[in-house]
Amino acid sequence: MKVPRVGIIGIGQSEFKARRPDANYPELVREAVTIAMKDCKRELDEIEAVVYSLAPDALLGIGNAERLGVDAVGARNKRFMRINTGGSTGISSLAAAHSHIAAGACDLVLVAGADKVGECGDSQTILNKIWDPVYERPLPLGTITMLAMSAVRYMHKYGMTEEDMAAIVVKNRAHAALNPKAHLRTPTTIEEVMHSRMISWPIKLFDSCPQSSGGCAMVLASEQYIKDNKLDAVWITGVAHCTESYFIGDRMGNGYIADHADSQAMGEACQRAYKMAGVIDPTKQIDVAELYSPFSNTEFHAIEGAGLAKLGQAPGMLKDGHFKLGGPTPVNPSGGVLCTNAIAVTAMVRVAETALQVWGRAGGHQVKGAKRGIASGNGGDHQFFGAMVVEA
Amino acid sequence: MAINRQVGVIGQAVYAPRNAAQASLEEGLYAVTHAALKNAGLTIEDIDGIVVAGHDQMDGRAITIMMASGSVGGVTRDILATPSGAEHAFVLGALRVRSGMYKTQLVVSWSPLETENINDVQRLANDPYYHRQLPLDDLASHALQANVLEHSIPKLRDAVIELTRQMRQNGVKAYPHYSPAPTEKVWIEGGKMLRYPLTQGMVSPAAFGAVALVLAGDEWLNEHKDHSTAFVHGMGWATETAYLGDRDLSQLTSLKAATQQAYVEAGITKPQFDLAEVADATAYQALMSLEGLGLCDRKNWVDAVFKGDFDHQGSMPVNLSGGASSFNPIFCSGLMRIAEAANQVRGCAGAHQKSNVKKSVAHGASGFAMQYNTVVVFGKQPREALK
Amino acid sequence: MELMTRTENWNITYRHALGETASYFYAQIRDKQQIYGRRDAKSGRVLVPPRAFSDETLEPTKEWVPVGPEGTIECFTIVYEAFNNLPDPPYAFGYVLLKGADTAIGGYFKGIDLKDGAKAAKQLAVGTPVITRFAKERVGDALDFWFELQG
Repeated sequence: MKVPRVGIIGIGQSEFKARRPDANYPELVREAVTIAMKDCKRELDEIEAVVYSLAPDALLGIGNAERLGVDAVGARNKRFMRINTGGSTGISSLAAAHSHIAAGACDLVLVAGADKVGECGDSQTILNKIWDPVYERPLPLGTITMLAMSAVRYMHKYGMTEEDMAAIVVKNRAHAALNPKAHLRTPTTIEEVMHSRMISWPIKLFDSCPQSSGGCAMVLASEQYIKDNKLDAVWITGVAHCTESYFIGDRMGNGYIADHADSQAMGEACQRAYKMAGVIDPTKQIDVAELYSPFSNTEFHAIEGAGLAKLGQAPGMLKDGHFKLGGPTPVNPSGGVLCTNAIAVTAMVRVAETALQVWGRAGGHQVKGAKRGIASGNGGDHQFFGAMVVEA
Repeated sequence: MAINRQVGVIGQAVYAPRNAAQASLEEGLYAVTHAALKNAGLTIEDIDGIVVAGHDQMDGRAITIMMASGSVGGVTRDILATPSGAEHAFVLGALRVRSGMYKTQLVVSWSPLETENINDVQRLANDPYYHRQLPLDDLASHALQANVLEHSIPKLRDAVIELTRQMRQNGVKAYPHYSPAPTEKVWIEGGKMLRYPLTQGMVSPAAFGAVALVLAGDEWLNEHKDHSTAFVHGMGWATETAYLGDRDLSQLTSLKAATQQAYVEAGITKPQFDLAEVADATAYQALMSLEGLGLCDRKNWVDAVFKGDFDHQGSMPVNLSGGASSFNPIFCSGLMRIAEAANQVRGCAGAHQKSNVKKSVAHGASGFAMQYNTVVVFGKQPREALK
Repeated sequence: MELMTRTENWNITYRHALGETASYFYAQIRDKQQIYGRRDAKSGRVLVPPRAFSDETLEPTKEWVPVGPEGTIECFTIVYEAFNNLPDPPYAFGYVLLKGADTAIGGYFKGIDLKDGAKAAKQLAVGTPVITRFAKERVGDALDFWFELQG
């Protein structure tokens, strides 16, 4: 059974900053919604359903915070639900919205959310509470330490160095300098990254994503609606999710499906999305990639998961200029999660940026002639992966 | 807007152990998943996608889908979570099947009792800007709504107590091991006043439970025409605004909206069902549900209740399962209402099965004073529009 | 114009049921200083820490399997930054594949000079043999044991 194309007709992003003392949480959501609705020249009245993008309540300090966002997204008396898959929430919300339309239940769906990670006293404390209370809660696990361990294994498996990691930061900061929405926009050097404070070996301060505040909203529509209203749109042609075991230790040892060094389930999600979109060779058919990567080292296995490099080859190809703006397959031309991370919406921003690229609307960080892109989102302890193919 | 594909409930299970501390939450979810799959006649390999609903703060896990995922077959599969409500997991699961992208879908929700501070957890939903310091938890919000209703409807309290009694009697028959109590009028209305006007007898204490449903679409349904299936005829879901002060608590415009969505889809102009499973954190809620579903205007509430219209032998039985009034796994009780309504149509409801059920309606509500409302219409036959 | 803030703290206590499998695991550590895994019946993998079922095969596990005390490091990290409610840095922890196990278990690495990150990283390199150490006073908790370099 053929799945209908679902179009993206409007995009709204905040200019992400560390803190937004001028706006409370619902106001931040509203800000993004206003931009997105203006972008597609629709009124909130026309929206038939809202999918609300919100990761852990604890980061905002409000239980079921989506309830407070109802009016910010104009959802009173409308279809409304909230998605939470951790860091991949934004892309999972878009996938849920995609189902609303593909099911024929709605023609116009708004996806929106915001985060104020900078206001939460310490995000790593909360992110320690995502670990299982049976065995692993007493350990000082957090997202930084967890992905530092992934770096250690990737180094062991493929010989990646700390300088290789720094090269990712240099690339992404240079990209972010061209993106007015990004949070960290100052270009940097390998030396500067290497001298930045060590957080969790081998991840240093500059290897890490910031804690960002801001919102993102997107308007999705059915092909019929787009035709009837003669709208400009780009298209979601592939979408898929896949999951790894929650237990990091199961991604090691003997007989594992996924290695914690790699991004096996992300690869699987991308493959399923590619299949749906009719993409057979991503190295040739993908013009741009916005791949979720909150730390420099994880961008390598994300690139490999997206099929843009063979396992272990990404660091070398990065050195050859393969993934920077102007290169054969630019990865994270927006600066990526490494430069902006408002957790609740960060995976949505990946799709938003991919959409802007294939739409030709990415301004200073535009990939010339981009027509088809891949976006990804990661959630949990490197556990949930969403992938979306967007094309012109 | 064309709704061109079927979705039906083909299996379900409920996990409600006598001793909640005997197994970990994950082991409980594993058990309910297996039971639901068995009821559907499937294995986990037949499941294309999963939607779960858990409440992070009730569970004590900041992203509860993480630990839960493995137990419900999430590894290598496509799994999403809707913490906004258990009913929303059903809605999303049904949409995914109807999109044509998934042959089947597993929907699981749970409500643990691992914190003594459930009220504190609920109070965290108050915005930190204006309302966090108020003692506003779920029960207080239900009480606010009950007060507003009592103010305008004479004798309402008596009808609410009687309806509670009827639903509890249903619960005794349906699930005696849940020990629905109290079941007598004098005990229901008496006892400690918890949040005026709600006494201890009028509400059911939080219970530990998990519920799982299996959904299937056209492809599977066409290959298994003899399988006991509850076809989704219509589905609707909507929300009120969050600030209670912005709402008229005696009305539920979102329920009207959700009902309309569901009835339009189901081709219903004059609603008539063999039974209803409705939200009943309090019996006030059940009456609001029945009105919102177009089944009983409030001017008739008192008469209808005392006439026995909603009793197990009445013209339209309400909560033959006993409802949340009898067994109250707070967070997933909405999904339980959906499961019960589906079971009745499937003919597998157990001791409380009504004979010859052709059409049922389920309603679930979540949030303060029924903020979210979800309506699902089930039928024994595939939806008319597609025939 | 004056921009205000309000401070809130979340303080919720949970009592998580561990179930029989985890309870046995912790009791053995407390009473016998022995770590156990469970074998996944379908794949044969010995899961450590043990679980009543495998999330990959969705089959119940069978058979308790004693593992360790020797093991090898599968991954590690050394934390130099202070985080609220987490230990004072520096500290090292990671995952160890104990002898007889097929999955790795998390734990602290103690007894290593962590001042020089690059040097310590070499000492903790993937594949390094370690030995499990148990606390003198044990309560049946993940922190009853940790790992130290052998020799």
